[in-house]
Amino acid sequence: MEINNKIYIILPVFNEESVVCDVISGIKAEGYENIIVVDDGSTDNTHRSVMNIKGVVALRHFLNRGKGAAIKTGIEAAKFLNAEIVVTMDGDGQHNANDIKKMIEKINEGYDVVLGNRFHEGNKIPLVRVVYNKIGNVFTLLFCGLWVKDSQSGLRAYSKKAIELIDTKTDRYEYDSEVIREIKKNGLKFIEVPITVEYTMYSRNKKEKQNLKNGIKTLLKMLTF
Amino acid sequence: MIIKLSVYQIVILIISLYFIFGATAKYIKKEEGQTFIKFFFAIAVWSGIIIFSIFPNLTRTISLKLGFGENLNTMIFIGFIIVFMIIFRLINIMERIERNISEIVRKEALSKLENKKDEMS
Repeated sequence: MEINNKIYIILPVFNEESVVCDVISGIKAEGYENIIVVDDGSTDNTHRSVMNIKGVVALRHFLNRGKGAAIKTGIEAAKFLNAEIVVTMDGDGQHNANDIKKMIEKINEGYDVVLGNRFHEGNKIPLVRVVYNKIGNVFTLLFCGLWVKDSQSGLRAYSKKAIELIDTKTDRYEYDSEVIREIKKNGLKFIEVPITVEYTMYSRNKKEKQNLKNGIKTLLKMLTF
Repeated sequence: MIIKLSVYQIVILIISLYFIFGATAKYIKKEEGQTFIKFFFAIAVWSGIIIFSIFPNLTRTISLKLGFGENLNTMIFIGFIIVFMIIFRLINIMERIERNISEIVRKEALSKLENKKDEMS
């Protein structure tokens, strides 16, 4: 399959020095050459390790502003580069670049937004994350008016129309739910597709990931939508 | 049961309803800066004012149950309203500052993109 050169993959990263190059290699191995890495104020060498990789646009927040803010910066960059399709992935290597293809196929079928769904039989997901996600789904339904099976998934694809219309204000993990609200608000056509995830010891041990404290913060932020 | 209202109660009722309708309209229209939590607190505060203005004896009942004197009760009530208004204002200011910081950081990051675009083409 010939890959559209207007497809941009956005990787928001924060202190991912040890894995980000492997994540980029995985994406390139699938044939995607346009990658925007947004370093969200890392204190390690994440930015330096990606800035000289061919085809990678390495941007850097000089202050840590959160995953949502980093994705928004990436999307603004993709718009500037005339992207037609944008795919966002987590930078810690939990997503599989193989899944990008089927998400882009759905965009080409006419969907505006494709949401990756981690919660199906093929994935081994820690129970605590299953519980957090279910709670997140319920609150997303309450505050955003749309039921989705995986409201906190980081692997998502957007059409040109979607990136023009979606206007987010939040900076951190509540961004994922705010996108759902924007889908509803703008009447965008969306679909959820099953994706594979791998929760390595590395990704499980990241303190920035969703935990109970961050979950409560996210919930309070959702109240301010 | 017909409640006889004095002029000041009617005035308070009208003012409170005006703010409740205003807050509801802003929330429904999704105006800039309007959020669920602000809407919720606005409704709670102004509804409380309506209830206590129509049923002033309620404050006496509550204060007696809580063991406060009547004057202190009024002071506490006014104090709550002032504190709520200050909290609203602080939340607004904090949200605006947070958004501005993110925008500055984003603009600085994107300013280097034009050079990158030239390199890629």
